[in-house]
Amino acid sequence: MQFFQFTEDQEMLRKSVKEFAKAEVAPKAAEWDEQDCFPIELFPTMGEMGINGIFVDEEYGGAGMGHVERAICIEEISRYSGGLGIALMTHHLGMSAIYDFGSDEQKRKYLPELCAGTKICGLAVTEPGGGSDFSGQKTTAELIDGQWVLNGRKCFITNHNADASVITAVTGVDERGRNRLSAFIVEKGTPGFSTGRKEHKLGLRGSVTGDLILNNVKIPESNIIGKSGDGSKIGMACIGEVGRAGMSAICVGILRGCLEEAVKFANERMLYGKPIAKLQAIQLEIANIRTEYEAAKLLLYYAASKKDTKQPATPDFSIAKYYSTEAAVRASKSVMNLMGGYGVINEYPAGRFLRDSLASIPSGGTSHIQQIIIASNTLSSFKA
Amino acid sequence: MALEIIVCIKPVPDPQYYDKVSIDPVTKIITRAGIPTIINPVDKNSIEAALRLKKLYGGNITVITMAPPNAVENLREALAMGADKAVLLSDRAFGGADTLATSYTLSKGIEKLGHFDVIFCGAESADGATAQVASQLGEWLNVPHLWNVFNIENQDEKTLRVKTKIENGSMEWKVKLPCLLGTSRDLNKPRFISAMGIIKAKNKPLQVWERKDLDAEDERLGLAGSPTKAGAVFTPDIKRKSEVLSGPADEIADKIIEKLRAAGVNIPVVDNACAIKGVSQ
Amino acid sequence: MKKIWVFAEYANCTLDRVTLELLTKARELAKSFKGETQVSAVLLGSNIRNVCKTLCDYGAKKVYVAESDKLGLYNPILYSKIITKLAKEKKPDIFLFGATSIGSELGPTVAADLKTGMAAHCVDMKINENEQLVSDVPSFGGKIIGEIICPDFLPQMASVKPGIFMQKELEKLSDPEIVSIDLSGINFDDVPLKAIGIEKREAKCVPVDKAEIVFCGGYGIGNRENWEKLERLASLFGGAVACTRPVVDEGWGYEEQMIGTSGKSIRPKAYVGFGISGATHHICGMKDSGLIISVNKDKKSPMFEVSDVEIVEDLNDVLEELITKLS
Repeated sequence: MQFFQFTEDQEMLRKSVKEFAKAEVAPKAAEWDEQDCFPIELFPTMGEMGINGIFVDEEYGGAGMGHVERAICIEEISRYSGGLGIALMTHHLGMSAIYDFGSDEQKRKYLPELCAGTKICGLAVTEPGGGSDFSGQKTTAELIDGQWVLNGRKCFITNHNADASVITAVTGVDERGRNRLSAFIVEKGTPGFSTGRKEHKLGLRGSVTGDLILNNVKIPESNIIGKSGDGSKIGMACIGEVGRAGMSAICVGILRGCLEEAVKFANERMLYGKPIAKLQAIQLEIANIRTEYEAAKLLLYYAASKKDTKQPATPDFSIAKYYSTEAAVRASKSVMNLMGGYGVINEYPAGRFLRDSLASIPSGGTSHIQQIIIASNTLSSFKA
Repeated sequence: MALEIIVCIKPVPDPQYYDKVSIDPVTKIITRAGIPTIINPVDKNSIEAALRLKKLYGGNITVITMAPPNAVENLREALAMGADKAVLLSDRAFGGADTLATSYTLSKGIEKLGHFDVIFCGAESADGATAQVASQLGEWLNVPHLWNVFNIENQDEKTLRVKTKIENGSMEWKVKLPCLLGTSRDLNKPRFISAMGIIKAKNKPLQVWERKDLDAEDERLGLAGSPTKAGAVFTPDIKRKSEVLSGPADEIADKIIEKLRAAGVNIPVVDNACAIKGVSQ
Repeated sequence: MKKIWVFAEYANCTLDRVTLELLTKARELAKSFKGETQVSAVLLGSNIRNVCKTLCDYGAKKVYVAESDKLGLYNPILYSKIITKLAKEKKPDIFLFGATSIGSELGPTVAADLKTGMAAHCVDMKINENEQLVSDVPSFGGKIIGEIICPDFLPQMASVKPGIFMQKELEKLSDPEIVSIDLSGINFDDVPLKAIGIEKREAKCVPVDKAEIVFCGGYGIGNRENWEKLERLASLFGGAVACTRPVVDEGWGYEEQMIGTSGKSIRPKAYVGFGISGATHHICGMKDSGLIISVNKDKKSPMFEVSDVEIVEDLNDVLEELITKLS
């Protein structure tokens, strides 16, 4: 066991992203939440900073760092805006499908602009019938005259207005009659490809979430990622690791927000002539928030460093995601307890933290799904 | 024309925390414990200016600072922003320097670096805020210098056109290279450090020069070389006894006007209004 | 005889008010010396003879004058060379500069050439028992004040921002002794730095440091619309609009309107602040105001600690009401 410590480079990255978040994100976060608008204008700046392509090789326009660094970026941004956090994390999610499973040609074609932030990426798996029931998907893709023709509807898709969407669709059935999925890159503006309704969300507002409609969408045969039938594997890997890592990092960011806002409020709010930080009841809340933050942070960065050292980390990300999202809900509730009446006023971020935490639970699989994954892994690996 | 550009930076305690600076009642020493050290904010405008100049004309950017050894971290940041190499002037002999001794020491470091075309310094530091080092460094090096620069354009390969801020306006200058420019925060918007920059910075040279590395006169360094001496330090007492005004906004407005009148402020319009009211009654 | 000099800032053909403030303070300092002490001004520029009388009215017994068309626009190289040469000849004990844009550059340049010490942006000055100049210098955004002396070198130099000291005419006026500065040996032609233009922005209303009443907006003012309301209110009063750093950053106000350690220092009869949190660097610039009224919804604002009147209300309501009452 070694002492858990970030490297000097990671600390410098954190400092820089924190500076960016304070200057460009913090002043507008409440407005994005209120008006539910997507700050797409920040993506080129994040591109210059290497945030968009943080885990992508320099060869494809990325920074050549890893998933610990990615978590740092998302944490720092989500400290002020979970909405921008999930938009960024989803951008990464789509990119990871192309980066980890795409052909060299696909990587060269799409990744540089996605890294630069001049184009936005997304990943569309979920359908009206559900998200975690992968093989129950109804969207289809058929190879006709050298072109893939896609039909169907995706829903609850964050960044549904993306320039490049990675979309899973049924391309056949296996020997046991189960659907075989494949993953495709579909570009915005392709005839028949359109965005449907935009959802009015409880939290993580400032990111756009909505439907994608595929009506006889014809794309080149070469736009398939990997080979036919790889869709499940690609979707699972991206969501299971990159997606859950992202959601966990968002919640670690929210937890830091809870902690900092709670400390600020407790020191400033005077009651009976002294700051409420002197009251034990308040100290108990502070201790809870601190503990939730530290635990979630350790789980997240442990899982991320496992992934960076090429070890299987899917159950670890499930644990991190399950814990940090629920912890963020508990901690933001704690902040509200501590703030009393101020907690429900929207000028204070406590309410937004709570809404963002709650909205983080379904993305990448609800807590129940994570529990099932954790249980299944535990039952097979902890035999006495 | 490839330019040799030098940027002087200063690590300072983060100005966001200056409310937390205090004086120890017993030792009378200024305590700034727990306040992180950052690159003086306007020095980042200097680095940005250097990067933009280099992008246009090519060349080399060297960042230099006179500071305690842990300033290496701030120099790494400057390298990550895009500077090519860094020099730290660090020695006990440099300690206790006022602006004259600081600018002298920097000038000796810069002389050791050799030829230069442009030097950038932040117009002032956030902590001491004397705004003196830029001009004094220019004098030690005997080059033309301008202070509070907010615009730089190239004239020809030996001349820059520069605008400086003055009260309620600006002046425009032609200055021959080599020169020194004291940058204002309006000059540009400094870039954020990028992940790519952080990786590149690792392989960039960073040197530490001590007293023995400089061809300098001892009596001009550090405390000995500082004509000004620091005396007592104190925190100014500026508290006033605050009287609370509350009630409906229009009553508050009346009370404000009353208070202003009592303070001797001329309120002609209200007087007229009263006069008219008086007539109609 | 002790000699106190003040640099008369007439560069670009306007006498900066800080010169008169410094002369007034210099007279006060002169009284602290046991022996005879003379206050003089150093004036460079073109068409400057009429300014000498004003300098004299505020306390300059002697005015050193360098007059040339080539000095009409400020030039740091020519100005510093002329002043350094003069100071080396006449050996003043104290030499004061305004911490204006020009003085902030020229003062330290001259100090470096004379190899002497200079205290920057003093908020107060006095003469101690050893007849040394003691300057109170702010640091950390005004949170800390430190005393600075320059015991072993002359002149003891210091700069002061406009608005720190009061200006007061002499009661008994006389004619100044005018001494022309010897400009021999100064090369006016081969200068590597030339001013090629000057632009003055027309002030929209009364300048902040000249107004009797100042209305100051902080970041809490919220938007440009409210900022314009504040401008309207100020014009109704014939007062000035001032602001804090974030308001300049937002592009609502100008830098000339900014109050604080990196902006202007003011001492109006009354200061009314709207939505100001009260960062030390702002407070440092306005704490000498006569009456201080603060309006801020946030009752924890440190601004209230330095205020005479505290109003914890929505600034918008108060602004509207004041405008209604005055229009």
